[in-house]
Amino acid sequence: MEEILKVSNLSFSYPSKNIFSEVSFSLRKGEIICLMGPNGCGKTTLLDNIMAILHYDKGEITLMGKPIYNYKRREIAQNIAYVPQIHNVVFPYTVEQVVMMGRTAHLGYFGEPGPKDIEYCNKAIEKVGISHLAKKPYSQLSGGEVKLVLLARALSQNSPLIVMDEPTTNLDFKNILLFLETIVDLSKKENISILMATHSPEHAFFFQSKGIVVKAALMSNGIIKDFGEPEKVISEENIKTVYGVNAKINTEYTENNHKIRSITLLGTI
Amino acid sequence: MKKNLKNNFIIKAALILAPLVMIFLTLFLGRYRIGIIDVFRVLFSGGREVKGLPIEISTIIYQLRLPRAIAGAFIGASLAVSGAAFQGVFRNPLVNSGILGVSSGAAFGASLSIIFFGGGLSNYFFSFAFGIVAVLLSYLAGRIYGSTPVITLVLGGVVVSSFFSAFTSLFKYIADPYSELPALTFWTMGSLASIGYKQFIAFIPMFIGMGMIYISRWKINVLSMGQKEATALGLDTKIYQVFIIGGATLATTSAVCISGTIGWIGLIIPHIGRMLVGNDNSKLIPISMSLGACFLIAMDTASRIISSSEIPIGILTSIVGTPFFVYLLKRTKGGGWK
Repeated sequence: MEEILKVSNLSFSYPSKNIFSEVSFSLRKGEIICLMGPNGCGKTTLLDNIMAILHYDKGEITLMGKPIYNYKRREIAQNIAYVPQIHNVVFPYTVEQVVMMGRTAHLGYFGEPGPKDIEYCNKAIEKVGISHLAKKPYSQLSGGEVKLVLLARALSQNSPLIVMDEPTTNLDFKNILLFLETIVDLSKKENISILMATHSPEHAFFFQSKGIVVKAALMSNGIIKDFGEPEKVISEENIKTVYGVNAKINTEYTENNHKIRSITLLGTI
Repeated sequence: MKKNLKNNFIIKAALILAPLVMIFLTLFLGRYRIGIIDVFRVLFSGGREVKGLPIEISTIIYQLRLPRAIAGAFIGASLAVSGAAFQGVFRNPLVNSGILGVSSGAAFGASLSIIFFGGGLSNYFFSFAFGIVAVLLSYLAGRIYGSTPVITLVLGGVVVSSFFSAFTSLFKYIADPYSELPALTFWTMGSLASIGYKQFIAFIPMFIGMGMIYISRWKINVLSMGQKEATALGLDTKIYQVFIIGGATLATTSAVCISGTIGWIGLIIPHIGRMLVGNDNSKLIPISMSLGACFLIAMDTASRIISSSEIPIGILTSIVGTPFFVYLLKRTKGGGWK
């Protein structure tokens, strides 16, 4: 399968603090990577480096086989879309207008969206199933709906890779499922690759149960502690050493006999 | 789709025509009554003497009413559109065209000129120069932390504004109360009374500044998503920020240096625009220009008519604008603001 993103021996530090070092992993077409790790372990900083918002000190990031620094800003955005963790609504743009901003990378210096962009935008809105909200100001939507709007914006960017930073923060469990199901749908139909920082081990298990190629990366103290199959990475042992939490991994079966794992937290050490 | 295009054309035509109609209408209005037919006769004479009409009528129309109305259109449009642009770039619906210290810098420049250089033409030069200086200082103050996040830039603007205001107050304190102080006070209340064709040169930077904002209007939407998201969407945020702020600064400073400080327009007109066409800057920027132009022409005409000694326009804009804004707020149920 085609390699979309390759991170090799990446190191980044702020003047007074080392954030991560020697981080390596790769992401292929249609794959999902769930990036996990305790608060402050450098997940967001890693994602910012991958989107070339921050500039790493050592190592290399290649996007579609080319070093990321050979790309212009809009070329990066043509290949990587972004769904933020927290989005502050300042102006009550309509859903359509927000999603349209995903077309920025495909427009000229002073260009405005044209009929082709409107088409992309409408398709993206349809794909995440929020057509009924298209004309509404997004300030009046629920947290879950706003997340879907941001996902639609990322889709209209028409990139092979979407980076998501804890996209399910603040959502109730139905909305989390709705969001994850939308991702599953996209991954299957559009073959989009997804790199997703998340706090919930269950996300990786969920994707797996839906038959998607998913890998987990566990970050701790500035390094990737473990990377690979979710059941290998999200083990009782790893959770104990990385989070300092005693946990039990259970295996259950869904109605149609799909295996699905879950995690029970027993207590801190 | 076809109907849409037709609608678009009508709206665009209306936006351009409205200020022109306003300019035309103000020629009839004023304390010196001029009949409709006389106005037309003077207009078609091209400034030459018209037989059977006193020369004052031609002077009033060509030397007083027409240049003021045209200047009002440019200044109103500049202030309103800069306010709209700043609100978008700074992701803050409460900022106005003076947020980076343009107005207080320009007022400082004008007071410096009035007190030390006897006012006159040097007013324009000093207020323009210090308006720009104030923005540059705000920008530098905002860079203290190495980068220019929007919030430190706004803080820089607030600090620099109060610095220049303090000096303006000091100059008022030491100004000669019979000659300099009235000039200074009048300047800070804004007026189009002294505008003639000589000041039209300021339209060039206003036009350029507004043009810069106009061509990047859709990008303001993207910038208003915040630096990180805008970058991830593929926008070189620094370049566009500097370009748009530069345009707004140029337009505002050139406007303020010939009219004095006229508050309010740069804050409220964009909001009236938001209530009418929504927040998409593609539509908001043109409508802010048009509304700003119409509003200032109307206010200036009112300031000429209401009393024999002109009411400073800055006072009038607030008195008339505030209730109008509250009315609109009620009509549109807040325009999507929660």
